[in-house]
Amino acid sequence: MSTRQEGDVLSDKLLDGLESHGINRRDFLKYCAATAAVLGLSELEFTTRVAHAIEAASKKPAVIWLEGQDCAGCTISFTGILNPPAASIILDKISLRYHETAMVASGGLTETVYHETVKQGGYVLIVEGSVPSADDRFCMVGGRPFREMVEEAAKKAAAIIAIGACATYGGIPAATPSKGIGLDKALPGKTVINLPTCPVHPDHLAGTILYFLTTGKVPQLDKIGRPVMYYHETIHDNCRRRAHFDAGRFLKDWNDPEQKDWCLFEKGCKGPVTISDCPVRRWNDGINFCIDCGSPCQGCAEPGFYADMSPLYTAESETSRKIWAMREVGLFKKEI
Amino acid sequence: MGKKITIDPMTRIEGHLKIEVEIEDGKVKDAWSSGTMARGFEALLIGKDPRDASYVTSRFCGVCYSVHQICSARALDAAFGANVPWGGNLIRNLIMGAEYIYDHLIHFYQLSALDYIDIMAVANYTGKDRDLLAVKDKIVGLVKANDTFPLTPRYKPDEFSVRDPDMVISAVSHYIQAFKMHAKARNMGAIWGGRTPHYQNIVVGGVTSYPDINQVARFRTMLDEQKKFVEEVYIPDVLAFGTGPLWPLAKMGVGGGHYNYLAYGDFPKDQKGQNLVFPAGVIIGLDPANIKVDFLNPDDITESVKYSWYRENNPVHPYKGEQVFDLDKKDAYSFVKAPRYKNNAMEVGPMARMIIAKNPTLLDLVSKGAKPGAVARHAARAIETKLIVDACYTWLDELLTEMTKPGFKIHDTEHWDPPESGMGSGFHEAPRGALGHWVKVKNKKIDNYQCVVPSTWNASPRCENGVRGQYEESLIGVPVPDPDNPINVVRVIRSFDPCLACAVHIIDPHTNEIKKFLIE
Repeated sequence: MSTRQEGDVLSDKLLDGLESHGINRRDFLKYCAATAAVLGLSELEFTTRVAHAIEAASKKPAVIWLEGQDCAGCTISFTGILNPPAASIILDKISLRYHETAMVASGGLTETVYHETVKQGGYVLIVEGSVPSADDRFCMVGGRPFREMVEEAAKKAAAIIAIGACATYGGIPAATPSKGIGLDKALPGKTVINLPTCPVHPDHLAGTILYFLTTGKVPQLDKIGRPVMYYHETIHDNCRRRAHFDAGRFLKDWNDPEQKDWCLFEKGCKGPVTISDCPVRRWNDGINFCIDCGSPCQGCAEPGFYADMSPLYTAESETSRKIWAMREVGLFKKEI
Repeated sequence: MGKKITIDPMTRIEGHLKIEVEIEDGKVKDAWSSGTMARGFEALLIGKDPRDASYVTSRFCGVCYSVHQICSARALDAAFGANVPWGGNLIRNLIMGAEYIYDHLIHFYQLSALDYIDIMAVANYTGKDRDLLAVKDKIVGLVKANDTFPLTPRYKPDEFSVRDPDMVISAVSHYIQAFKMHAKARNMGAIWGGRTPHYQNIVVGGVTSYPDINQVARFRTMLDEQKKFVEEVYIPDVLAFGTGPLWPLAKMGVGGGHYNYLAYGDFPKDQKGQNLVFPAGVIIGLDPANIKVDFLNPDDITESVKYSWYRENNPVHPYKGEQVFDLDKKDAYSFVKAPRYKNNAMEVGPMARMIIAKNPTLLDLVSKGAKPGAVARHAARAIETKLIVDACYTWLDELLTEMTKPGFKIHDTEHWDPPESGMGSGFHEAPRGALGHWVKVKNKKIDNYQCVVPSTWNASPRCENGVRGQYEESLIGVPVPDPDNPINVVRVIRSFDPCLACAVHIIDPHTNEIKKFLIE
């Protein structure tokens, strides 16, 4: 049991937090006293500073997760993470204030917590799904346009993460009559961490969140806002079927066991122009990924997805023709 | 005059749904179900290589991604004249099975269960089980840290909420375990699916994933783990709740709606396609004492747009793909259309399937007093999960036999290139119910693409005859003693496992028909 005192420099919240980790007030003060002595600081000054720092750190960072013109695939993808387990992220590591697919609250209760959190500011804003640009009414939440929610929540966010092809660069909804747009167009001028791929890779999201929690900073981003730690090489750079591409062995018949690991270029693979770490990290806890199940990469990490990648299963798209031209002039050969 | 309340957003579903109810004398008197988001995928498919469809339509929904991919592939198979080799069908079936297991688990635990328990009761747990004590510490810790999001805020637990600390803490422990279990079920599907959400391997003519024996062994081991959870945790939880503290709700039949059920049937267990896990059929006006299943004729399906944001009259030829939204339409209140079978609003999904199949376990519950409704729906879902698990073992054994035979095939290569023209329909029993895709090919490109999706049936608004959709009808009479705490309303809606991104789609409105396209 802790012995709390009136006007204590240690708040109830801090003491509760410490208690939930098995640390009582006396032990904590002993630690502060010892450390202050080592640092040559007054015990009171040090204790106050440490208390504030720990209190700030032990508060789980607030997260608002918005869904627009989405399919919820990014949410499902994220719940699939096993390292760390999704349940522990959602319950232990972040304070998930708003997430329509996960939260217990319904209807008006969701709006209360949303508005309170926005008012406080300083939360991580995650956005899944596109914003309709043809007409606000293509996506209404709680009776108001989703676009408004995004713009409002973006103002006081400590960091903004767009997840999935739709929220980053528009994805498939970009080509529909509702003209979905990503945060690149919906929040011009704002720094947005972009985690494309369709759906988002759970490691990319978990890793970005953990990076932010640890450093308080946005990770290094490439020219289109993707974290360089995940987006720095093409699928092609790390493809196990590369020797087949170079030698011209292209899979034609999915039934032939001899061809089954051959290059998928003729089946429409966009790997050479797609930057993502899929072949290295793979998907679903490393079990598999697109190319390894005999299916071509469709460039879902790129802004041109989906329209530029169609037709998906032949080498007839402009993207595929470009790849072939690059191959013919030796652009994929290693530099000596 | 009743009090109108709005629940928007409806949470713990897929997609954007608004529910409005009028409450009088502590009960729902009238209800409106409204889908509030639309994209317009079908329009973008016009003019594309038909083979794109199975990939693109998977993105209708990231929760039930596979159902659209397979249904689209089946429609393309028909349009292309492709014959999927049995090996390809086995792999398709297996990864669909993985989808079912994951989808039903996440629905019960992550999306539904918390509506039925008072989670704070874990603080009163006095048992000695180490794992359960860890759960208690976790929840109590969250309360002490004054940060219980996303478990709060919440509707106040009512008279039906389970408060027994042992039951509640067990449920919360299973809620946490379920995260891992359905993740692993998805990973199991990825063995051939490539990745989830959004499988990569289903294409017209079959699949792209040439299997090896070790993959079969891996799938089996993972399936064993799923089977254990389904049989030892999921089903017992549903039955313990349903026949225990929630039995009064079950007997009241809260959330019954129209007693009309429809299933296309699916999951052939053999190559002839005769022995279906889920038989097809239609029931209009269920009499539980005398279940009569009629033959389903897809030509009797129509779709009304009277109360949906689509143009009513379209002078342009119906098969020219075009923008048909009408956001200013008078009286319209949903992006979802209103499919009807012989002018009846139907329920599709686990309850429909299990009743049409005359499943003995479900019928046993009915004979003991459970009326069709929210609780029975959860039971039907759990029951059919086991049927799918069992079927997966059959398919695995078959695959093992098939793949070791000479001439094993997974894909119909002869019918890979698009035909000059063609049309086809594909049907599938998705976890949420009867799904259909229709495609028309002209000049080797998609000329038209239509779908009727399970949540379209269930979430539909009224039709031109004023008949309510199933969600709307199922809310009539639901007890809401406190209008500020409509917990029974959300229990009923969630029992359907709503999927609104799926429910909304374009169809050419002036035909209002899901008949096969005109043959030119």
